[in-house]
Amino acid sequence: MNRKLLREARLWLVGIPIALWTLIPIYHIFLFSISSKDSAFSGALWPEHPTLRNFGTVFRQEHFYLHHFWNQMWNSLWIAVMVGVLTLAIATCAAFAISRLKVPGGRTVMNAALFTYFIPAAFLAVPMYKAMGSYGLLNSRWSLVLAMVTLAAPYAIWVLKQASDKLPWELDEAARIDGASAPQLFRLVYLPLMTPSLVAIGTYALLLAWNEYLYAFLLLSHEETIPLAVGLGHFLASDDSPWEILMATALIYGLPPAAIYYAFRRYMVGGLTSGAVKS
Amino acid sequence: MASVSFSNLQKSFGKTKVLHGVSLEIADGEFMVLVGPSGCGKSTLLRMLAGLEDISGGAIGIDGRVVNDVESKDRDIAMVFQSYALYPHMTVRENMGFSLRLRNDPPKRIEDRVAHAARILNLEPYLGRYPRELSGGQRQRVAMGRAIVRDPKVFLFDEPLSNLDAKLRVAMRAEIKALHQRLKTTTVYVTHDQVEAMTMADRIAVMNDGRVEQLGAPLELYDRPANLFVAQFIGSPAMNVFDGVFKNSGVEALGEEWPIGASGGPQNQPVKYGIRPEHIDVGEGPIEAEVIVVEPMGAETEMVLQVGGQRLTVVTHGRAAFGPGDKIRISPQKENVHLFDAESGMRI
Amino acid sequence: MSAIALPGVGEPPKKSLTSWQVWGVVLIAPYLLVFVAFVLYPVTYGLWLARHPQSYVTLFDDPIFFNTVVNTIVFLLVAVNLKFVMALFLSGFFVHERAWIRWLSVIFIIPWAVPAIPTIFSIRFMLNPEWGLVNSLIFRFFHVDGPNWLNDPSLALGMAMLVHIWKALPFWTLILMAGRLAIPREQYEAASVDGASAWQKFKFVTWPSIRTLYLTSTLLSLIWTLGDFNSVYLLTGGGPADKTHVLATLGIRYIRLDQVDQAMATIVVALPFVLPLVYFMMKRLSGDEQKTSA
Repeated sequence: MNRKLLREARLWLVGIPIALWTLIPIYHIFLFSISSKDSAFSGALWPEHPTLRNFGTVFRQEHFYLHHFWNQMWNSLWIAVMVGVLTLAIATCAAFAISRLKVPGGRTVMNAALFTYFIPAAFLAVPMYKAMGSYGLLNSRWSLVLAMVTLAAPYAIWVLKQASDKLPWELDEAARIDGASAPQLFRLVYLPLMTPSLVAIGTYALLLAWNEYLYAFLLLSHEETIPLAVGLGHFLASDDSPWEILMATALIYGLPPAAIYYAFRRYMVGGLTSGAVKS
Repeated sequence: MASVSFSNLQKSFGKTKVLHGVSLEIADGEFMVLVGPSGCGKSTLLRMLAGLEDISGGAIGIDGRVVNDVESKDRDIAMVFQSYALYPHMTVRENMGFSLRLRNDPPKRIEDRVAHAARILNLEPYLGRYPRELSGGQRQRVAMGRAIVRDPKVFLFDEPLSNLDAKLRVAMRAEIKALHQRLKTTTVYVTHDQVEAMTMADRIAVMNDGRVEQLGAPLELYDRPANLFVAQFIGSPAMNVFDGVFKNSGVEALGEEWPIGASGGPQNQPVKYGIRPEHIDVGEGPIEAEVIVVEPMGAETEMVLQVGGQRLTVVTHGRAAFGPGDKIRISPQKENVHLFDAESGMRI
Repeated sequence: MSAIALPGVGEPPKKSLTSWQVWGVVLIAPYLLVFVAFVLYPVTYGLWLARHPQSYVTLFDDPIFFNTVVNTIVFLLVAVNLKFVMALFLSGFFVHERAWIRWLSVIFIIPWAVPAIPTIFSIRFMLNPEWGLVNSLIFRFFHVDGPNWLNDPSLALGMAMLVHIWKALPFWTLILMAGRLAIPREQYEAASVDGASAWQKFKFVTWPSIRTLYLTSTLLSLIWTLGDFNSVYLLTGGGPADKTHVLATLGIRYIRLDQVDQAMATIVVALPFVLPLVYFMMKRLSGDEQKTSA
């Protein structure tokens, strides 16, 4: 009995610091967002008078930095969804072509994609910025969408190809004998069987785009097109910005990814780690 | 229903040639079994007929029409795979109706055809289930149902019973045979199991190393194997074969004189002597043998005997009164003796 | 005698482009387009922009550059290894089957799943020397003034590393967990029967199985950490006085100053380190491909 207790105690000894380490910065966001200005800067652990006024300020766009809040929110949403949808479409088709149709040169394309995946995104940012300039896309939301699709697609193709390779080859043969054309095979057999992976990848691409900062602020600078991430960055321009309002905005910004991750956590963990690194 | 024709069919995978000019005619409505050891090319031949493999040389014809360049879906064939290949995300009904749905057939027609096939195969209670909810035998029947619904010119079976346990295999064999008798569709059936071949086929093509060793009705292959390979492949337990020379009016081998049915050959010419285990009588006879192992099977007894340093297998009806170590006398039925040329292995 | 005419015995049939092959090309074309337009062209353009030797001279002359390289090396060596040691340890923790541990693992992923701005800003404010939570607590408990976390270059870099670990740890912990879970239970049971201690079990059962995954992951993490822009930029902005820059943020600094050639030069300088690692990673994954598809 004592050994068991000791073992449990040891686990708690690890678990509690992990919980604290993970949650304190998160809690801090929450803390600031429900505090008044004075209370926030007093270093208190819990505000004397917790208030939702900050959120009101955000939603009513009542501060200089918040004038375009809803617009920015909409941009973030639009960009994230477009990236999710486009990545899914492009990656699903490419994975099908490589895995099931065994298109010649498939391995080369897969390698090219892997190369893009491994190169740090920050390194591609500057060339991407110049390229988008060449294409005349700077300050159009499409530049960020296309850049994020470029970054998300390789991993998506890799994961989808791995999942697709697990499907028995006889299914394709049976379908061909049954009279299926390539599009019919894709639509009626492949897509239904790939659904869990598709959900994981769509979510991954969407979150990647929503969370992105560097590419967003490099490629978009016009007030009308910037997503919420860049808008938040603007707060740092001056030294006495209302940090509690910033945190409230940041909380709102951070909620959708947290919620989506929580809703899809089963798909995400399985789908993403299986393809990430093979031992 | 249609005839199938293979004309000097050749197939190479890269530099490796796996089919060396196979020619075969299958008549309309015939149940043809392609049998042979692993790697003999039987599955490759079937897949070429299905359109799943390219043809390296020669021609395939269905119903008199060359189909070398015709796509699978236009050949009007149906295939039952070894692993069933059922669509896991579709119900039994949807699986069976899939090919008709691809052709945009009217729903009523699909419904009728599926119901018809389900009735024949006793699948009606399972129409709403998914493949993962079915047993192996049921899945196999769904795979057959999918083929029946298409009402094709030719049925192709690729080792469909290999994944089933022994008892189920026997039951399914009978079902497939009954199905063929009912539908009378030309069938090409691939298996490595010679028992399946013997029990189901109208004619058997025994294949080895990319060639057809012999083509004929089951009993023909059993009674008059054309060469050593066929002789030892068909029949279970396998035929006893050993070396000897023609002597007097028989064959001298293993230190004994073995009788033969027909006239002999040139004296002292080497020859291979073949006799099936079930064609050796025990109890009395000209040849002495020592019992090594006795395996009572109930209705029959299988024994391993030793004659002159060689082991022979013998099968007798009923129980045997012998035990290991006994010396007994045996007599080969001379009308059932097979003689093969010592070098070529061809039947004499 | 065959009843059908032979097209030409022994000739392979003509290979026309089947509709399936056409579809293959059609379906892979969108990605190819994306790759050519947004990877091939930018990379080529970027390398072309980095062609002037003068850019590199200017770069090496800039005192910030040398400092940045040192920062980057320190960051990589310390942050990545610390992160992986922690990930290795925590992966062992999270495989214990308890309900509360499973809940904890869900919470543990949050730093990785939520965007960088809210969380890194939050930490930034926590570290504010006057009113930040950390110094307030230090004062309350120890009655001394906490350090100016983000104004001391070494401390600031240290904090950036901590931020990086905070954010990246969950992902790698998950990966190593998956590696641990792949080890059959019987091996541990056999070791128990043989009388192995916990440490021995790790040394003789866990580590041999997980070693390759650990090393490959570390390498991949080196590449990605090299490109970690957010941890430094959002926490310190590269300051104070450009003393906490890493290569990833330095390139962007030059872009903001409209020194495009310099920005590209910064990136090119890092390539001799990055490219071999990338090549190695690609070979590993392609190699596994061959094994599984054969």
